[in-house]
Amino acid sequence: MRTEAPSPRLAHHFPSLETQEHAARLGMWLFLATEILLFTVLFTAYAVYRYLFPAAFDEASKLAHVALGATNTVVLITSSLTVALAVHAARQGENRKVALLLAVTIAFGAVFMVLKGVEYHHHFAEGQLPGRYYHFAGLSGPGVPMYFTVYFLMTGLHGLHVLIGMGVLAWVAIKAGRGEFGPRYSTPVELGGLYWHLVDLIWIFLFPLLYLL
Amino acid sequence: MAGSSHREGAHFGPRHYVLVWVALMVLTAVTVAVWKMQMPYALRVTVALSIAAVKATLVVLIFMHLWEHGGATRLVVATSLLFMVLLIGLTLADNATRFPYANPPYSAPAEGLPFASERPPSNVPPPPMRTVPEPGYQGH
Repeated sequence: MRTEAPSPRLAHHFPSLETQEHAARLGMWLFLATEILLFTVLFTAYAVYRYLFPAAFDEASKLAHVALGATNTVVLITSSLTVALAVHAARQGENRKVALLLAVTIAFGAVFMVLKGVEYHHHFAEGQLPGRYYHFAGLSGPGVPMYFTVYFLMTGLHGLHVLIGMGVLAWVAIKAGRGEFGPRYSTPVELGGLYWHLVDLIWIFLFPLLYLL
Repeated sequence: MAGSSHREGAHFGPRHYVLVWVALMVLTAVTVAVWKMQMPYALRVTVALSIAAVKATLVVLIFMHLWEHGGATRLVVATSLLFMVLLIGLTLADNATRFPYANPPYSAPAEGLPFASERPPSNVPPPPMRTVPEPGYQGH
């Protein structure tokens, strides 16, 4: 279904819609840069403790559930595809398709969170907890609880981002349902999509680091 | 209304997105397959991180449209990458070049990694890594 979207509002300090769109995109990328640096701090913690406790990290990462992690990788990558297709559909003015694709993306996000919850449940039940709360009998030694500190911090912050992303995309999907997007205006879909891709991007690194190494 | 006021240069369409998705899937399968082969540690790290870097590049360039959008956004990405390298690199270099006792007790950087040669002779052996419960282990 193609609908002619209503013209977007042009703020008075921008000479043209195109400039306004560029500014919005640049602002989003600046925000994403701060997000990347936020996660970089955690990646640094991972690097330092992996460097200091190589044997412990080697053994502890074997306790991660690779099958669930790999499934979640597939889920997130596929959800990235649906978002990319939604952005394309928004530019074509196919608002129903945008809403549908975003709904599918949100559903993938929910699947991701459920699988993550299953993993967390296993770790909690086994006593594989961060820092001094670690009491898993099957593996102990210096540095092992640090793996789980880093694991829960990284996957926890990432999970929070998935939830926020789902919220943002739901808001964009509602706007699409109202038929707001078209060739001249697709900024919310594009920026919400960028945020979702960032979530995917971070998982692309978390998966090998936490599960496979 | 044609999107004539829109972006310059080549556009990626659904076909490209699906191709990228297929590539990402294949790369994910390769990572898991390599993990199953149980290769030597250094090789495993190199392969896993290289594949992750390729996947990330695909996502950033195609899905996130950085290929199509030039200028300031690229500068932002490049800057964040630079600071990422600085943050991880300098912090690791700090830990690696410290007077060893300044690192946490029982830490033992892997042999063969740079900077790891200057370990002090340890009078107190570290507690052993245990992968099975010892008899009488009660937990906390």
